[in-house]
Amino acid sequence: MYISKNWLKQYVGLPDSLTPEELALQLTMSTVEVEGVENQKQSFENIVVGKVKKTKKHPDADKLLLCTVSDGEKDYSLVCGGSNVREGILVAFAKVGSKVRWHGEGDLVELKKAKIRGEVSEGMICASTEIGLGGMFPLEDEKEILDLTDLKLKPGTQLAEALELDDVVLDIDNKSMTHRPDLWGHYGMAREVAAIHRKKLKKYKPDEIKPGKEMEIKVEVEDKELCPRYMAVALDGVKIGPSPGWLQKRLMAVGIRPINNIVDITNYIMFDLGQPMHAFDSEQITMSSERVSLFVRRAKKGEKFTTLDEKEHELTPDMLVIADDKKPVALAGIMGGENSEVNEKTKAIIFESANFNAINVRRTSTALGLRTDSSARFEKAQDPNNCKLALKKAVELTLELCPEARVVSNVADVADYHLNTGPIELDLEFVKRKIGMEIEKKKIIDILERLGFGVKDKKHVLKVTVPTWRATKDVSIPEDLVEEISRIYGYDNIDTELPSFPVIPPERNKLRELERKIKELLVYKFSFTESYNYSFVSPDWLKKLDFNAQKNIELENPLAKDRPLLRRSLLPNLIENLEKNLHFKDNVSMFEVGKIFDVENPGERAAKNGDELLPRQSVMLGLVFSGKNQKTPFYGVSDALVGTLETLGFHIKLTKKSIGIDLYMHPGRQAEIFVDETSVGEIFELHPTVQKKAGIDYPTAVAEIDLSKLLEFYLEKEDYTKVPEYPSMDRDIAMIVDKSVQHVDLVEAIEGVSDLIVSVELFDVYEGKNIEAGKKSLAYHIVYQSGEKTLKAEEVDKIQAQVEKVLESGFGVEVRK
Amino acid sequence: MKNELQKLKKEFIKGLEEIRDGVQLDELEKRFFSRRSGEMTQIMKNLKDLSGEARKEFGKLANEIKREFQELIEEKKTELEKEDKSGLSSEESIDVTRPKLPQTENGHFHPITIVHNKLEDLFTSMGFMVLDGPELESNYYAFEALNIPADHPARESMDTFYIKDHSDWCMRPHTSPVQIRAMQKYGAPIRAVVSGRCFRNEATDASHEHTFYQMEGLVVDKDISIANLIGVMKELLQGILEREVEVRLRPGFFPFVEPGFELDMKCLVCEGEGCGACKHSGWVETLPCGLVHPKVIEYGGLDPKEYSGFAFGLGSMRLVMQKYGIEDIRHLHSGDVRFLEQF
Repeated sequence: MYISKNWLKQYVGLPDSLTPEELALQLTMSTVEVEGVENQKQSFENIVVGKVKKTKKHPDADKLLLCTVSDGEKDYSLVCGGSNVREGILVAFAKVGSKVRWHGEGDLVELKKAKIRGEVSEGMICASTEIGLGGMFPLEDEKEILDLTDLKLKPGTQLAEALELDDVVLDIDNKSMTHRPDLWGHYGMAREVAAIHRKKLKKYKPDEIKPGKEMEIKVEVEDKELCPRYMAVALDGVKIGPSPGWLQKRLMAVGIRPINNIVDITNYIMFDLGQPMHAFDSEQITMSSERVSLFVRRAKKGEKFTTLDEKEHELTPDMLVIADDKKPVALAGIMGGENSEVNEKTKAIIFESANFNAINVRRTSTALGLRTDSSARFEKAQDPNNCKLALKKAVELTLELCPEARVVSNVADVADYHLNTGPIELDLEFVKRKIGMEIEKKKIIDILERLGFGVKDKKHVLKVTVPTWRATKDVSIPEDLVEEISRIYGYDNIDTELPSFPVIPPERNKLRELERKIKELLVYKFSFTESYNYSFVSPDWLKKLDFNAQKNIELENPLAKDRPLLRRSLLPNLIENLEKNLHFKDNVSMFEVGKIFDVENPGERAAKNGDELLPRQSVMLGLVFSGKNQKTPFYGVSDALVGTLETLGFHIKLTKKSIGIDLYMHPGRQAEIFVDETSVGEIFELHPTVQKKAGIDYPTAVAEIDLSKLLEFYLEKEDYTKVPEYPSMDRDIAMIVDKSVQHVDLVEAIEGVSDLIVSVELFDVYEGKNIEAGKKSLAYHIVYQSGEKTLKAEEVDKIQAQVEKVLESGFGVEVRK
Repeated sequence: MKNELQKLKKEFIKGLEEIRDGVQLDELEKRFFSRRSGEMTQIMKNLKDLSGEARKEFGKLANEIKREFQELIEEKKTELEKEDKSGLSSEESIDVTRPKLPQTENGHFHPITIVHNKLEDLFTSMGFMVLDGPELESNYYAFEALNIPADHPARESMDTFYIKDHSDWCMRPHTSPVQIRAMQKYGAPIRAVVSGRCFRNEATDASHEHTFYQMEGLVVDKDISIANLIGVMKELLQGILEREVEVRLRPGFFPFVEPGFELDMKCLVCEGEGCGACKHSGWVETLPCGLVHPKVIEYGGLDPKEYSGFAFGLGSMRLVMQKYGIEDIRHLHSGDVRFLEQF
């Protein structure tokens, strides 16, 4: 919203020395965020009143003229295409260096000396729209330039000065005042400025309305909740025409295009008080025997209504309309209807000044996609008391602008509202504790009173009455008052103080610690790169990967229509990463740690009281690996995963699954991952068909484990075995065995032979040439050691022979000698 | 005997100086230390013929000289050996600039992890617990318990993702629900920081993401004041940025705090002069914060008459972008190794 400094000055005297930037800063620090300061003088810099002394045809263009324009001191050559340029007139002359908007469109452009079709032009003669004056001087013809002759100005005068465009406009961030209905008009903002500067705020006191008797307005409000107040009054003898300059200037300063005196009055009041108003052409409203009935009612289902902007809407019973006997004439609080619009022929009007329910206005305007200055204000919960002030002001202005006009009706007023204005008991000790320093009582009272609060001093406690414009939803508890006091006092004036906390180490987040250690190992030791993927996944992609999309939770309002599902596994998105990255790299190994959403298992409570549980959201670790020349990427992933977990002290076992093998898994290259006896995840290569469908050229291995489950087994290492006193002895064993025999079983068998075997390490695997089909060759390195003595070779050989026997009889291996 | 020893020493040193190679050194060693005929051996042998005091005195001296000779011989040996290998610098020269082969690649952390770890460490050092909660939240925790009732415009302005067939569930639009969960679980006093993923249903472009990260702090204790909040925020920013910062507090509105603030930091790029990075204001909007609303304390199961607190939110994604100068927010979830491998 734009705030005009001149407008503020109507209500509060500001020191001349106060710069606009200072004012902006003060408001930012105490009230609302000012995003920018626009100085009209600056925007008209280098634009002066010029006199056209001579014109002649452009030698090379039919529609262009060569003009000699004087700024009173010097003559300039300009090329101009204006349809109304002629010798002797006064124009807006933009010199080189000024900023204009070409043909009233696009961004501001700095003028440079230019050649137009071979002729030099030292600036330009402007159309009103090219210098932001389209509102004040509406274009009648597209090619028309701004003719200032009638204003009898002195050539060379700065245009801003000549037109008295000396305002400064503050651009306020609307988001910073959603909770402050009172700040949506200049008067409310002036109150803030007055409080900050400790200046007097002028009273807002329009003339009382003298009702007429020619006509009766009757208002019926169907739902008082949706319309707490509705006021209306009729005027006749209105002459529609342009507003006077002062009014146009006010509106233009805040970015509103002047339309005609009556519409301008309603807009002016909206930007003055924050109270939106509407004017109906009363001749368009059904009347019976000098009586107008206005109904504030819910729209009928499917009722059609065309708003002022010529758009037709289909309404629902959730929406509120203003209607006469026959038809709706306005969409309550949002926009009037085309059918009763004030136009140049209007002679009689009805002013509406009403208050509508904030939530209902917001819902209707959202549902219809129709956001207006009016709806924006009602959404903030306006003070119903303003209806009367606004109506009085509207009548006062109308009588001023159209002296022939007169009030012809009663002042209809249907009101039913209650505002909680307190009083709030404000304990001064509480204020001190909340702010963290003491502010003098006198000062506190002064601040509150300047903001419109009523204060009764009860020694240690203040009884504070809330002004109605702050009572609609903004201020209701003592904490709200603390904010009022401290922001006007100035947050910068509060001495900071660190709180005193006991020296207690914080409780550790062990899951976070585990995550971190795993990430460190994967990155530093196994060269995996971490990815962050969206929590959303595409059903098409899942389908491509043969992942079941049935159990994924779905978003009600997905942003990307192609990713409406919540991930149940980290893998699909990681596989997508892999596929993309293999275009840039030969080998890709990536991982992600993140939450998945599992609707089949219970998670945390949905409310403090109640049994409903949210879906389980476990923290998972996912890994993917593939690349050129990777024939068995399974081992790349198992090495990293098992290596990482074993480094952290987990006892990991991989067990090939015989049931529950998913469609996307390579049936021969898959395993369930166990920690102790608990399954924590899966590791597998993608089924070759799935891998191809995913667009990946090489075998691809993935793994996923549940860190929340893993955490239960996470113990920091707390034991140690003594450094051995006696030397160890090594023996190797090589054997040929059926391919189906698993390494883990062989190791278990070997280790079971004797307590003196302290380690069994696989050092060679071979299949292929010289080995019978269906067989493989394995070689192990076995370490023997005793904690009691130095072992003798014979002893070890004896055990080694036993090992051979066990393997031969248990697994049918052929030991290679 | 003393003279004899002095003479021997002179001869030894003279002999040592003349040595040019290992063979000569061996000969010298033999001449003095040969078991049978070594000159030094002889002297040591003769010692036993002396008696009492003299034996003691000369024994000590002889031993010293013997040790000295042996050391000198060792030194000479090393010297000769090195002379022998004087060709090493060319014969066994290597290219020190080339890497070991086959090369191992490095793994990489995601930049958000790097920044979060740093922040979490900082908070832990200040006595904060590190927490997280569900990303799919109930409307109760995401809104109601945070003083955002059903009709509150803030619900709509937050552009929340909702869950199909569960109108009372949503993807949390902020980490604030964990404030309530934490108070309910741990009671007061509490110092906690919530670090996690949030979601807003807004179109993605170079500076907007529907998935983002917050680091949200909560302190609840007796008599927590605005003065405390400013003090802690200042320390915090200094901790994060590792330099002195100037901050200012101005009003800001969030339903779950009262009063609410926006904390700005003096622009580090231009030091307050005004530049593109701070939109020419000299200040950068950094932390929304405020005193916890009494209703929120109540929803947390605590008595707002007894306890008060403050909360603050840190958009850690923006911090990541500033730290590395990342121009497009979409890189962060792209999974593109050409981006990820830079961290």
